[in-house]
Amino acid sequence: MSATGRARSFDRPAQWALAIVLTLLVAFPLAPIVYQSFLSDRLYESTKQFTLGNYALALSSPALWATVLTTVAFVAAATVISLVLGVAIAVLLARTDIPTRSVLHDLVLVPFYVSPLVLAFAWAILYGPSGFATIGVRQLGLPTWELYSVGGMAVVAAVYYVPYAYLYAIGSLALTDPQLEDAGRIAGAGPFRTLLSITLPLLRPALLGSTLLTLVSALELLSIPLVLGLPVGIDVLATFLWATASRATPNDYGIVAAVSVSMLLVITVLVWLQARITGQERRFVTVGGKAIRGRLLSLGRVRWVVAVLLWAYVLVCVLLPLLGIFAQASTSFLTPLVNPLELLTIDNFKQIFDQPAYVDSIRNSIIVSVVGGLVATAFIAFAVLVTTRSDFPLRGVLSYVALYPRAVPGIIVGIGFLWSTLLVPGLGELRNTLAVLAVAFTVRFLPIGFGAVAPSVVRVSNELDRAARISGASWLRTMRSVMIPLLRPALASAFVLLFVSFLKEYASALFLVSRGSEVIGTTMIELWRQGNSGPVAALASVQLLITFVAILIGQRLLGARLRG
Amino acid sequence: MASAKKDLTIEGLVKEFQGGVRAVDDVSLTIREGEFVTLLGPSGCGKTTTLNCVAGLERPDAGRIAVGTAVLTDIARRIVLPPERRDLGMVFQSYALWPHMTVRDNLAFALRLRKVSRADIDSRIAATLELVELAGLEKRYPYQLSGGQQQRVALARAVVAEPRVLLLDEPLSNLDAKVRERARFWLRDLQRRLGITAVYVTHDQAEALAISDRVAVMSAGRVLQYAPPSDIYERPSSRFVAEFIGRSSFLRGEVVGVRAGRADVRLAGSGTVVSAATAVDTAPGDRVVLAVRSERIDMHGENATENLVRARIKSFVYAGAEYEYILDTPEGELRASSQRAVPGPDVSLHLPPNSIVVLRDDAPVS
Repeated sequence: MSATGRARSFDRPAQWALAIVLTLLVAFPLAPIVYQSFLSDRLYESTKQFTLGNYALALSSPALWATVLTTVAFVAAATVISLVLGVAIAVLLARTDIPTRSVLHDLVLVPFYVSPLVLAFAWAILYGPSGFATIGVRQLGLPTWELYSVGGMAVVAAVYYVPYAYLYAIGSLALTDPQLEDAGRIAGAGPFRTLLSITLPLLRPALLGSTLLTLVSALELLSIPLVLGLPVGIDVLATFLWATASRATPNDYGIVAAVSVSMLLVITVLVWLQARITGQERRFVTVGGKAIRGRLLSLGRVRWVVAVLLWAYVLVCVLLPLLGIFAQASTSFLTPLVNPLELLTIDNFKQIFDQPAYVDSIRNSIIVSVVGGLVATAFIAFAVLVTTRSDFPLRGVLSYVALYPRAVPGIIVGIGFLWSTLLVPGLGELRNTLAVLAVAFTVRFLPIGFGAVAPSVVRVSNELDRAARISGASWLRTMRSVMIPLLRPALASAFVLLFVSFLKEYASALFLVSRGSEVIGTTMIELWRQGNSGPVAALASVQLLITFVAILIGQRLLGARLRG
Repeated sequence: MASAKKDLTIEGLVKEFQGGVRAVDDVSLTIREGEFVTLLGPSGCGKTTTLNCVAGLERPDAGRIAVGTAVLTDIARRIVLPPERRDLGMVFQSYALWPHMTVRDNLAFALRLRKVSRADIDSRIAATLELVELAGLEKRYPYQLSGGQQQRVALARAVVAEPRVLLLDEPLSNLDAKVRERARFWLRDLQRRLGITAVYVTHDQAEALAISDRVAVMSAGRVLQYAPPSDIYERPSSRFVAEFIGRSSFLRGEVVGVRAGRADVRLAGSGTVVSAATAVDTAPGDRVVLAVRSERIDMHGENATENLVRARIKSFVYAGAEYEYILDTPEGELRASSQRAVPGPDVSLHLPPNSIVVLRDDAPVS
């Protein structure tokens, strides 16, 4: 209570409320999984007993260890390929005079906005065993490839993750003092030597960051193994969890929980390691020079060759597969043996829009993405302000809590939420509602939202809020009147990003939906498993269109900048 | 000239940026071998662009740059060597030490590119670090060094491969004031010992005067005056130079008589006639501006017989070594300084004839 007799401040209670809600949200899916991993029976049965048997069973299963090996191979390959491609493309596009750089920049990022599920379908439709391109190439008498393999899965996953490595590298390049490259040239190094000896090594901290991000994401990636691996019996941990949890015998509950907890431990250690190593990379902090535009390194004639290679990558790996989705959606049968134009049809779309269940899933997706995205944006904005702009005593811990979900695979979020609603009395009502989906998605994408808002907050000088406090505003009032208005562009970007992420999401929804509450992702998986690739392509087209429109609106109307 | 072998010559240099702005507008300079020349001017005057054109980091639109007989840039003959083939050394404002390399590796980079043998690399690095008084720090990373040490490593890196010319782009601007002043002496001393031709860019006039053999004062892409520091200070050739360097006051007037090396000028405000030692050709009737350094004005001029101006103290500050005054006079506001406090409010100013520089009245009073 202040000496001026001002009314009691609501600052601290509001901050505590946020801290409690945030912690509960993150603990919600995790607690029942840890609990279940030590139980002999399903966590809501009265016959359950404490046991370590689940871990013993999991660790002694040769099949599970084989799955672990496959997972490691898949994750490692996907990470290495995406890293090499992403970084190489970033250095070339950001630092050299490649023709059509800006168009290529936009196209390389396309997979960022596409659901990996859709990307998997797209590749299957074009490059699968009976895919359009596969058959076409075979017709020409040329050797073909085997997409349904660990290697094939890794390539598709790599294409999906290239934008992450690319964005990390681009961000780091933008911060690098261009005089470091100038100094290399003056010392006598040509453009290529400068890129290799100076530009690339400076990216090391960024590489570490994106390596870890890709590792963790690939580890939890369900869609691509589901579409490209499952048909030929290739199992990774994510598909194993999904299949086992779907069977849902008492034994399966325990195994799923034990494997999930083990995965969480491994990922947590990885995240911790990354934070440690990044902390040790202090030598990369450079004295800031005056902000001068970096000069592009001239590659001479080689730049045309590089441009052709980059275009080939974008076309073959990104654009043609997506085009294949639209082609499949608008033909009755997609094959190089018959002119697709003769097979044009709107049947696939009719099938989607005639079935209330499918229409529902589109509507549900939009509702969850818009409403959930808005609520999540507001919540995240508040959370970022508490962790970065308040004197809340636990703010440091709180930001760790908020960022922790990046270590939690989507499927585990889904299973955890399901079990929470089974376990906690009164929460059963929430099951199969859109609300629980929105909450689960919010938890899942907390780190992404944080990442979109926090840097903008840091850029606002804290003298601005100090000035408001000195003028007599409470903390809450300061945030509302000073920070939030200043953060409007960042919040718009965060909303668009969350909207797109929510729209793409399927993994955490799989165990939380039932008839009537399905979303586009879960419906696509169901249809694909029934072998209906036409309607799947139609739904995927709808999802792509919504995403495209959302980004367009976001950038034009809200002024959202989707990449820092 | 026999000694012209390795002079750095810049002829007719022009650099336009988008929108047709001429960042460098017909700059020609000859920097003699072993000379220390500073390009001085406010930001945006074209000094850094000129330096970058010499370095090969920017491509000029016209002009020729050569060291002795080696042509670095000759737009007319379509020659623009890339930076790596110019054999120059450069110290950047941010030092640009490669943070992922040790001090040793930073220095070794240029030597390795020149295929210097391993043993020679070691001995040259040791000798160069000795020279900059950093012997024994080979294994450190840049972040483990102080700002002053980083600056010296940057200098060592720039000279280790014995370049034709050393370019310095405001290398002292990131140092603390105290360290910076010491670094001037040190840098000058080092350049003399190496006998290397140096081109230095700064916007700090005190630094430029202290460190250079000659100073080229630049404004709006042009060189206004290129002369030794004492000439620049004592005999500014234009009002801009007089205003930019040191603290001067300006008085308008009209020439009423010319004697040997002297001009008599009637001041516009009071009609007083003052006498000025002048090198500029003037004739009676010319409108001129007289520039006077504030420390040259004698504020105790009651007993002077000529060049007297009446003034009233408007305000003053105590600056340690001296008192600085702003004075109201019939000629407008003047600035003067005195080592002793001056009782006011009315004072008599004596302007010694040889402290007055006569300039053509071509610029509006700012």
